[in-house]
Amino acid sequence: MTDFERLFSQAPCGYLTTSDDGTITTVNDTFLRWTGHQESDLVGTRLQKLFPIGDQVLYSTHCQPLLRMVGAVAEIAVEVVGVDRVRRAALLSAAREPATPEAPAEVRVVIFSAHERRRYEKELLAARRRAEHSDAQRADAEADLARLVHHDGLTGLPNRTALEAHLAALLARPGCGRDVALLYVGLDHFKVVNDSLGRAAGDELLVLVGERLTAGAPPGAMVARLGGDEFVVVETGGDVQGVTSLAAGLLVSLAVPMTIEGVEIETSASIGAAQSGADSDTAEGLLRNADIAMYRAKARGRNTWELHDGTVSDPAIDRLRLIGELRRGIERGELRVHYQPRIDLATGEMESVEALVRWQHPTRGLLSPAHFIDLAEETGLVRPLGAWVLEEAVRQAVQWRDTRHTTGRTPVEMSVNLSPRQLAAGDVVEVVTGILQRHGLEPALLTLEITETALVTDADAALAALTALKRLGVQLAVDDFGTGYSSLTYLQRFPVDELKIDQSFVAGLGTGPGDTAIVASCVQLAHAIGLRAVAEGVETEDQRRALVELGCDVGQGYLFSRPVPAVDLDATVAAVLELAG
Amino acid sequence: MLSTLRNHVTVLGNPEGPVLVFAHGFGCDQNMWRRVLPAFEASHRIVLFDHVGAGRSDVSTYDKQKYSTLDGYAADLLQICEELDLQDVTLVAHSVSAMMAVVAAIASPERFARLVLVAPSPCYVDDRSTGYVGGFSEEDIEGLLESLDSNYFGWASAMAPMVMGKPEEPQLGEELTGSFCAADPEIASDFARVTFLSDSRDLLHQVRTPALVLQCSDDMLAPTEVGDYVHEQLAGSTLVRLAATGHCPHISAPDETSEAILRYLRSPG
Repeated sequence: MTDFERLFSQAPCGYLTTSDDGTITTVNDTFLRWTGHQESDLVGTRLQKLFPIGDQVLYSTHCQPLLRMVGAVAEIAVEVVGVDRVRRAALLSAAREPATPEAPAEVRVVIFSAHERRRYEKELLAARRRAEHSDAQRADAEADLARLVHHDGLTGLPNRTALEAHLAALLARPGCGRDVALLYVGLDHFKVVNDSLGRAAGDELLVLVGERLTAGAPPGAMVARLGGDEFVVVETGGDVQGVTSLAAGLLVSLAVPMTIEGVEIETSASIGAAQSGADSDTAEGLLRNADIAMYRAKARGRNTWELHDGTVSDPAIDRLRLIGELRRGIERGELRVHYQPRIDLATGEMESVEALVRWQHPTRGLLSPAHFIDLAEETGLVRPLGAWVLEEAVRQAVQWRDTRHTTGRTPVEMSVNLSPRQLAAGDVVEVVTGILQRHGLEPALLTLEITETALVTDADAALAALTALKRLGVQLAVDDFGTGYSSLTYLQRFPVDELKIDQSFVAGLGTGPGDTAIVASCVQLAHAIGLRAVAEGVETEDQRRALVELGCDVGQGYLFSRPVPAVDLDATVAAVLELAG
Repeated sequence: MLSTLRNHVTVLGNPEGPVLVFAHGFGCDQNMWRRVLPAFEASHRIVLFDHVGAGRSDVSTYDKQKYSTLDGYAADLLQICEELDLQDVTLVAHSVSAMMAVVAAIASPERFARLVLVAPSPCYVDDRSTGYVGGFSEEDIEGLLESLDSNYFGWASAMAPMVMGKPEEPQLGEELTGSFCAADPEIASDFARVTFLSDSRDLLHQVRTPALVLQCSDDMLAPTEVGDYVHEQLAGSTLVRLAATGHCPHISAPDETSEAILRYLRSPG
């Protein structure tokens, strides 16, 4: 035996040579010892037959092609079955010597035991799989959460958030955001169902409507519920005709009577359709246009559809739409109360705050009452709105009173506007009493502001209501004084405590002798009949100084602070005190 | 996602020639066809691609749901044909890809002129109820998955670029270093499950496209009985038994394989 032969035979690992198809041509002693096989049993058989079937498949599909194409494989993990049928974990490396004119191709194989390494790899892999599994579980939990965030709890349909995301994605597609059609579906007279059959029946109706819309919508369309009785269907790729025929089809399927709690209900809807295009390339724009069209459909007598026409602007429709938006806004809690400090002009300290309503409109941002309060007044919406504002303000006043009590400061007085409709309603005293009692606020801490116009319009009714309110112990103020042509005698009839000078006069302070004279007489008038004089709209230091000189008691305006959310008021107060100091 | 990027599509050969699409099988990538390509390059337009998870495909497009059946892979194949606007395609499919070819040919018969099925098997697992012999038990397939797991880290880091031997074509060897038959190990495991546990026997009689069945000698993955079965079930198919041994005749016997294919392509349809 030559040295090389001995080296081959006694090498520290198994050596074999095979032909291209794996037939073993030589094998060393180390391999024979390790596996227990006889040389005569191995030579002439295929190497891969010593592996379990899984390894055999891998060897023929992966290793053999590699050996042929690249000439080598390295550290392939296999198991070698010994004569005792026990599997031995091993690593296999091999290199192929191509055929020559003298000899066929030969594959030289090294196999060495890799028990420890195999165990280690298995543990590593198991750990990795476990980590992936827990990742997957977390992803599932996140998906559940996303589903909750993006779906309407009642109908299971996508909600407004999901709809807006869907629309944004559709409109963002390059070059093809123009084919999006949106149908705004509002049920007609849904409130009647809710009121007559109860909320559960109303909910059931909404679920059925969702199902019908889903069944009636083309495949790939999204049906979402915005809230209340409003649904949206979004479709892509259709032309005008497709959109209108879809709207007509949905109306037909909604018109089929539904049986809820044994009662057959006929329902109908008004549908507004809009298509993406130049004037509506955002989700908001598209929703707004379809919403406008829906109100047009409602105005046309309901159970019909209308296609949005950007060229037509109808004030009556706009008004109808704004009413709808405001009603929804109140229901959805889009209204906010902000507070404007009122400053004792003699001391510079905050003596009270006025509660002012704001509307956090979903598309137009934060709106001041000027944008919606007249409409609310005309439609009667001001009554629930006003009651809500009063309740919120009183609740806040109690909270401040309690916290200020602990900090040793005096309780903050709260002024809230009372609209003419609220004043004229027969239940105003009950409403105010109820709110004060519910929250436990001393009536004297609450000032109700009534506009001068409200007093003049129906003086006798106003007098009766104000007298009753005064009996509760609340304070009363005449708002916007100077704009309603009331005379001194007239004012004396009412049990008011405070007179608020309209900001239009305050604005003219110091610039013209006329306005200064008016403010001066207002202050004198107030003091003459024992009222507090309050100046609104104080914006400059000159105005403040003039008011102090005139002996005006209280001022409010941007000079001190704009109306701010309750949480910001503490900071505002600190700033005001600094200004005064 | 363009399938040409997703599947790392390569187009070679004669742009005017009839179209040959090659679909690689389990355990490798489009490089496995290299040995047979010279026989077709002058005459045919050649389209090669990697299944998602193999070779240089875009692994980020892997969708477990989509690729949980052969249909997902067949859909990719059809999308490639559509994007390249390939007509009268002869589809050469190896091993597990042969049944993807069958799915594709049934779905879009107008697209395919002929099928060449290299070492096909419609079902790898024995079926005692019908006496069908696929050659494997389900435990065997589980063993393969285990074997894949055992090579997880080696597989994940692709093939180590240590070319120790002298390949028959050195320039080829260099070009292939490091990337040949690389695969994502997790996908390879899914792929093995899908391909080796699928049963496509019921599809064979629905194929209307003429087919050539290339049967190797001594192929543990596709025994001769399986080749006979495929030939029998595919109406109008031609069976050619190759002298080549093993599962990859296009690698071990490229000349015999390409000649058999060319002879079939020249024969009247």
